[in-house]
Amino acid sequence: MVESEIYEDGAAAALPRPSPSLMLVFWLLGSLLLALVLLPLISLIATPSLADLIKAARDSEVRNALWLSLAGAMLTALVAGIVGVPLAYLLSRSRFPGRGIVAAIVDIPMSVPHTVAGIALLMVFGRRGIIGAPAEALFGLRFWATLAGIVVAMLFVSAPYTVNAARLGFEAIDPRLEKVARTLGMGPWQVFLRITLPLAWRGVATGLTLTFARAISEFTAVAILVYYPMTAPVQIYELFLRFGLDTAAAVAVLLLVLALALFIVFRQVAYGRTAPLGPGR
Amino acid sequence: MVLATHCVAVAGAVALAALGGMMPARAEEPVTLTVYGAGTLAVPFKELGAEFQKKYPNVTVEPQFGGSVMMAKRITELDQQADILAVADYSVIPAYLFAGSSGKPAHAQWYAGFARNAVTFVYTPKSKFAAEISADNWYQVLARPGVEIGRSNPDTDPSGYQTLQMLSLAESHYHVPGLAGRVIANAPRANMRDTETELIAALQLGQIDYLAIYRSDALQHHLEALKLPPQIDLSDPSFAGSYAAGVAQTKNGELKGKPIVYAVTIPSDALRPDWAEKFVAFLLGPEGQAAMSRNGFGSFSPAYAVNVEAMPAGLRDLVKPWPSS
Amino acid sequence: MNALALEVAGLSLRLGACCLRDVDLAAAGGEILVLLGPNGAGKSVFLETIAGFYRPDAGRIAIGGRDVTELPPEERRVGFLVQNFGLFPHRTVAQNVALGARSRQDESQVAALLRRFDIAHLAERRPLLLSPGEKQRAALARALASRPDLFLFDEPFAALDAQTHEALRDELALFLRQSGIPAVFVTHDHGDALALGDRLAVMAAGTIVQRGAAGEVFARPASRSVAHFLGVENILDGRIVANGGDGLLRVEVGSSVLSCRSPAPAQNGKVALAIRAGDVRLNGAAAPKANGADNVLAGRITALRTIGPLCKLTIDCGFPLTAYLLAREAQGLAPEARLDAAIAVEAVHVLPGGES
Repeated sequence: MVESEIYEDGAAAALPRPSPSLMLVFWLLGSLLLALVLLPLISLIATPSLADLIKAARDSEVRNALWLSLAGAMLTALVAGIVGVPLAYLLSRSRFPGRGIVAAIVDIPMSVPHTVAGIALLMVFGRRGIIGAPAEALFGLRFWATLAGIVVAMLFVSAPYTVNAARLGFEAIDPRLEKVARTLGMGPWQVFLRITLPLAWRGVATGLTLTFARAISEFTAVAILVYYPMTAPVQIYELFLRFGLDTAAAVAVLLLVLALALFIVFRQVAYGRTAPLGPGR
Repeated sequence: MVLATHCVAVAGAVALAALGGMMPARAEEPVTLTVYGAGTLAVPFKELGAEFQKKYPNVTVEPQFGGSVMMAKRITELDQQADILAVADYSVIPAYLFAGSSGKPAHAQWYAGFARNAVTFVYTPKSKFAAEISADNWYQVLARPGVEIGRSNPDTDPSGYQTLQMLSLAESHYHVPGLAGRVIANAPRANMRDTETELIAALQLGQIDYLAIYRSDALQHHLEALKLPPQIDLSDPSFAGSYAAGVAQTKNGELKGKPIVYAVTIPSDALRPDWAEKFVAFLLGPEGQAAMSRNGFGSFSPAYAVNVEAMPAGLRDLVKPWPSS
Repeated sequence: MNALALEVAGLSLRLGACCLRDVDLAAAGGEILVLLGPNGAGKSVFLETIAGFYRPDAGRIAIGGRDVTELPPEERRVGFLVQNFGLFPHRTVAQNVALGARSRQDESQVAALLRRFDIAHLAERRPLLLSPGEKQRAALARALASRPDLFLFDEPFAALDAQTHEALRDELALFLRQSGIPAVFVTHDHGDALALGDRLAVMAAGTIVQRGAAGEVFARPASRSVAHFLGVENILDGRIVANGGDGLLRVEVGSSVLSCRSPAPAQNGKVALAIRAGDVRLNGAAAPKANGADNVLAGRITALRTIGPLCKLTIDCGFPLTAYLLAREAQGLAPEARLDAAIAVEAVHVLPGGES
């Protein structure tokens, strides 16, 4: 019998014999980017005083706006998962005509200016819109001034991230694994739920997190369809107009802290507990 | 030999410099004027900017438009430098730019009112009851169930609170108690939007049937507008006293009605105050007045100004002191 | 027991660049059928079609007597093993095996299978940490848990080093013989074909070009290209100079003449011969023991190369001939040395189709 040998996957992931000059240059370049991100954030966080933060946290309007943003973004991620992951799977596995076009369509929202997006959504989901009017008439479902409208606008701008990341996740799985699973007696649905999706989970989770992040930060497209009730970005803007930078910055910092806390939780849940599995092959 | 060459060179350089000094250098140097304006001023100011550039080819006018309060705060809170600030409600300038009780430094010392406007309701032929509505029955039609009315945010935007003031005045003018409340019931917060663009878009898409906004917008966007009585539509400074009886309840407190007067000033940290002065003169003069009335604004001839002595000398002749009333 | 384990009739399929043309194949119960062919021949596509992943344009597939042509993969009852064995990396070994069992409602078998394949101690381990041998056993256990009627192997050893390859192949052969479940084994490796295959089918460009017992096929390739693919070292062009009545031919090759048999009436003129290097017996300068039925050629070494325990020689005996000696037997030999070669008449195979 063959002796049991341990194969270490960790070794494969480490940088082989890093060269000091390469690392130095890369760190220099990389730190420029880190600085670009950190400096505005730090100056933002430094703007409000602790008293401002507490005052903002106590304001029920502020809390409502933060809650609405969080709820909207979570629902958006959920919907993006339900409709985006299947599309990502089709794009990765199915060779259908027009595949390139569909992939391009998925990416379009990322290059549409937000004002244009908002007006276009209003056209479709508004009171006289091709979806908005029948939805209200038949189901009493309104997309203006409601959470549903917020989700629709958030989804438009943030869905591409789920589709693209999930697609990469699926593409990294060896199709032969799915074939083997079928021969073991699993039907196509079982294979997808028990084999494909769990193996693609990192890609899917990354996509959902990006979608959440993008959704929670969207201002214009949401505001055109749903100004009231106010999401956090709209509230922040209103506070800036009414009071000034300190008040607005206080709410912005609260939003940032909440979003950051959620990202950390997501990453922990999505990637934290499993050791690297290695590629699917 | 070498010395002689040097002398000729120096003499030549001096001569060129003298020539250069004699030329009208100011007219040649390229100048950029940053103009911050209220959203409703976009069309007339763009026209005016183009005419100004024709008259002074070395000048490039770069206007930016947005909510009056937003543009003011860009200067006071965000330290941005504008050469000219023009707002839709003259009280925005003293409220935000003059030295305040909270110890904030002053960003301006004077302002001049240069145009008037009226608050009204604009609509399209597709709007509900568009065929019926008139200057006599508007407050009844607008109160009907199913009519959606849009407006801007009274907590942040002049036209928002001016609409509320107008409705308050209408209540006493027509002697119909509860008029304001019934119309407002059809204009809930859900129908509010941040910018004029979004409101007009909502009207054109049928999301709302009527939009409370300025009469100038009707002209610019080819919309129908109601002709409301001047006693309530805040268009006539001679009614300023009675306008004060119309109030708007906002998150900033109770705001009393004032005539809608567009005002302009040159902020104290303008980069090119000399050219800003020329532009303001242009605005207050015949070309400016023509541009404003062409676009549906009422005019002042001459303009009213507050703190005339703080104004640049060249502008003082164009204005008269603000009448106190 | 009477039904064929696998019966494929008239299978045709067009898939992108790959094309299967009218393929017929049968495997009997308990048999290992090796499907041999160069890369791009269509072997994997053929195997996956049997498994049910592609719909053939025409043809019929029956497994264990059941017509499965219209059935989806999960209903065909095949065990499928691929390169690197296809264990699910996000599940433990026990869970992998259980996934095979669950679909057959037989969870109690999982522990028994783990014991049978001697991997019970690895039950909680992830596939990533297993050696190739352990992976193979786990994959077999898993496939067996689903009680297949047929095993399909798609070059499972392709990525392994030679030693592991051989060890695993021996284990697999043992398992298949013990379990008695028929198998189709796809490979391009000759060693696999000879070691595993009861019967062999050679596939090239989407069709089966030869089938038969493994030894048969290697000894008597059906065409020049098959001979080439099978690694026959000596493929020679010759001209018939004499045609004996009982199928004995005399063929001129280079400056020598060989005797061989051809069952079919030979066409006059050109003919191609195949001689496996392993069938060439060499002796020193002394005359080799000759049977009456041997071709004996005198030759001169033109090249020597030691490969492991063997020494590969090229000898000029009127034409270039490749042969092997054990390395220790070849000590002292050098180019230009004289050597005689003896080749049995039966070992000289006439390739059908002449030039092809």
